[in-house]
Amino acid sequence: MNKKLIMAAALLSATLSTEALAFPDRPIQIIVPYAAGGGTDLSIRLFAESFERNIEGSTMVVRNQPGGGGSIGTSGALFPRPDGYTLGTGAQGPLALLPHLGGTPYTIDDVEFIGLFGRNLQVLVSCKDAPFSNFDEFLEYSKTKAAQIGNSGAGGANHISAEAFAKAAKIKIESVPFGGSSEARTACVGGHIDAMVASPAEALGQVEAGNVSVLFVMEPERIDLFPDAPTAVEKGIDFTWSSWKGVIAPKGIPAEELAFLRDAVKTTVADDEFQKKMEEMGEFVIYEGPEQYEARARADSETAEAVIRDLGMYGMNN
Amino acid sequence: MDVLSSLSQLFEFNTLWTIALGTLGGLIIGALPGLTATMGVALLIPMTFGMAPVVGLNMLIGIYIGGIYGGCVSSILLRTPGTPASAATVLDGYPMAQRGEAGKALGMATIASMIGGLFAAIILATLAPQLASIALEFGAPEYFALALFGLTIIASLSGDLLKGAISGLLGILVSCVGADPITGVLRYTFGFSGFASGFAFTPALIGLFALSEVFTQMERLGKSEIPIRNVSGRWPSRSDMRESRGALVRGSIIGTIIGIIPGTGSGTASWIAYNEARRSSRHPEKFGTGYAPGIAATESANNAVCAAALIPLLALGIPGDVVTAVLMGGLMIQGLAPGPMLFQTNPDVIIGIFGGTFIATIFMFIFGMALIPVFSRILLIPRQMLTMTIVIFCFIGSFAINLNPVDLYTMVGFGVLGWGMHKFGFSQAALCIALILGPMMEANLRRGLLQSGDNLVTFASGPITLLFLSLTVLSLGWPMVSRLKQRRRNHIKSPE
Repeated sequence: MNKKLIMAAALLSATLSTEALAFPDRPIQIIVPYAAGGGTDLSIRLFAESFERNIEGSTMVVRNQPGGGGSIGTSGALFPRPDGYTLGTGAQGPLALLPHLGGTPYTIDDVEFIGLFGRNLQVLVSCKDAPFSNFDEFLEYSKTKAAQIGNSGAGGANHISAEAFAKAAKIKIESVPFGGSSEARTACVGGHIDAMVASPAEALGQVEAGNVSVLFVMEPERIDLFPDAPTAVEKGIDFTWSSWKGVIAPKGIPAEELAFLRDAVKTTVADDEFQKKMEEMGEFVIYEGPEQYEARARADSETAEAVIRDLGMYGMNN
Repeated sequence: MDVLSSLSQLFEFNTLWTIALGTLGGLIIGALPGLTATMGVALLIPMTFGMAPVVGLNMLIGIYIGGIYGGCVSSILLRTPGTPASAATVLDGYPMAQRGEAGKALGMATIASMIGGLFAAIILATLAPQLASIALEFGAPEYFALALFGLTIIASLSGDLLKGAISGLLGILVSCVGADPITGVLRYTFGFSGFASGFAFTPALIGLFALSEVFTQMERLGKSEIPIRNVSGRWPSRSDMRESRGALVRGSIIGTIIGIIPGTGSGTASWIAYNEARRSSRHPEKFGTGYAPGIAATESANNAVCAAALIPLLALGIPGDVVTAVLMGGLMIQGLAPGPMLFQTNPDVIIGIFGGTFIATIFMFIFGMALIPVFSRILLIPRQMLTMTIVIFCFIGSFAINLNPVDLYTMVGFGVLGWGMHKFGFSQAALCIALILGPMMEANLRRGLLQSGDNLVTFASGPITLLFLSLTVLSLGWPMVSRLKQRRRNHIKSPE
């Protein structure tokens, strides 16, 4: 009798202790809405590695769910059970651009922002044999002709940023969509287009080789990698743009878990080795808390909406 | 001296061991339907973070080379292309295995892969900077002309021209599903978000060739017992080798050229090589019935693509296909910016990669040859069990790529389609080619029109465009001319 009681008490305390066990007590899954091996995928893999190293007892599994320009994986991350065990990659395209094109089951209002960990700076480069090779020549050329600017896909971040610049600078451009940034880069180095939007790391090798030159940097200030390239702002055009990625989750995660995840992301990003590896890959590591992250996403979403409406692409996939 | 010290790092035990492991791993990944070389490389990149650049990159190259080769194993034995690169190997490989010559077919494929791989590796090491500029010549009109030329294969592949054309056009229609390449508008998705990126290629291929074959086998199983076939042997006979000589040379050259052209890849190369080998053969009628030169052409071409795709990557910083695009990520993580400057800034890495490509190709040959008896024993499994195992692999393979349930429906749908096509004499190969080349043709036609302000003349200017267009005309016209000749000759011989 007594023995049974003790057994029952032991069992009860055992179940209680599992219930009280600190979050996370099983692997956390993070969804990448792109195929394995791309820039976003690699940075999430580095992130997961740093997360496991810094958050004791945690396991983070990266799951690729590509398709639909990132919308499939993003909705996969926004509508599971909100228990904190399924997170998503909050990238600019799927969050700030795609909902305006239509056909996504989510909008930016469905997103719980956890923390931003990286930005991708953008530059506009002129391609081989282009009729212009610096900012002033580019604007001069654009007065009479529409420069052909390559992008990595219609409605994608590069497309929208090029068009947003054209809108701010009041010039005409002709956007030429390619299937991915490497296709666009090939066409650019081969001289089949006039210009393209690229990341500084992507552009560096080709700039050194003299195949392309940087027209301007889409940042508020000049960057170390290309100190001679002007910003649009200093040329009197109110335009900045960068793409970004962070960690997002579905709405409705219990406050305690949410706070834990937000702290964990901050710790993960602060890791020296993570920062070093990311920088080697040409990523610009920066931590932004949930409020700042959300503000950035919403601001880009508004800019993008205006451009997409101008292009007549608003809601085209509804 | 410098070259020697860069090469000697390759022969350290650690490096050799890593390359061997990568190649063997790639071989297995490639042999399993659905797991492609791209996936292998992408998933293992994080493992290379801590390695020295040359070691890590050569492991990835080993996976790539092993993976593209490994695809032929399931193509030949099970009619299941292990990777899209070896879909064309099915045409002659599977009939050979059916005849009891599985070992010989695998041997031919292994030898061809090595020859193609070594040929392209030699070109890579000697002529990379000179040839890389080919990659830059290709604008929208050139790609369009190349795709058009590729599509003419359909005409020569299918015995019945009308049915071949129907299969090809069906393939092009099916490849229209998903986002429009120029405007981004979703087409033919019927409001179903799963179709937003079109039908996934590998699941479609698995369904088209593997699942449909399972259905066909099931029909036969119901009627009679299929005898177990003899699977011994691994070396092709001397006459096989003699007959394949032309196919090997053509396959290696075609694979190397296609590999250098960015965005085309090993699937395109093996189909074009197959067609050229067949056209120039003295026995074109034997192709498709289990003829060793058919395997020689496709396998030498797809492995030549591996090393050749590295040419624009290393010399220009432009990836030649999907796998090398992933490899480029691997280079950048090591802090190396791929591009023309790499030759000056890190010659040790460049030489290391050149050498690693040779070593991986040789490892591939050794492992391939050694494993042939193991692989071909798969055919000794009773048909009933083997068939069910293939079904399971069809599902696992299709799901493993993107973990997307829509891919399973795609696979089953294409399986039923493929079975029906086979039953009524429509060419599955024609549909497969159209799936590969249709999107390339459409995107570049539209991009070319956009860039030229809707001027069609752009598609008939420039030497490369004109070359491919005339090849297209020749490819379509030659069978007619030769048939006319034949008829006239018969006419003279038997005047009645």
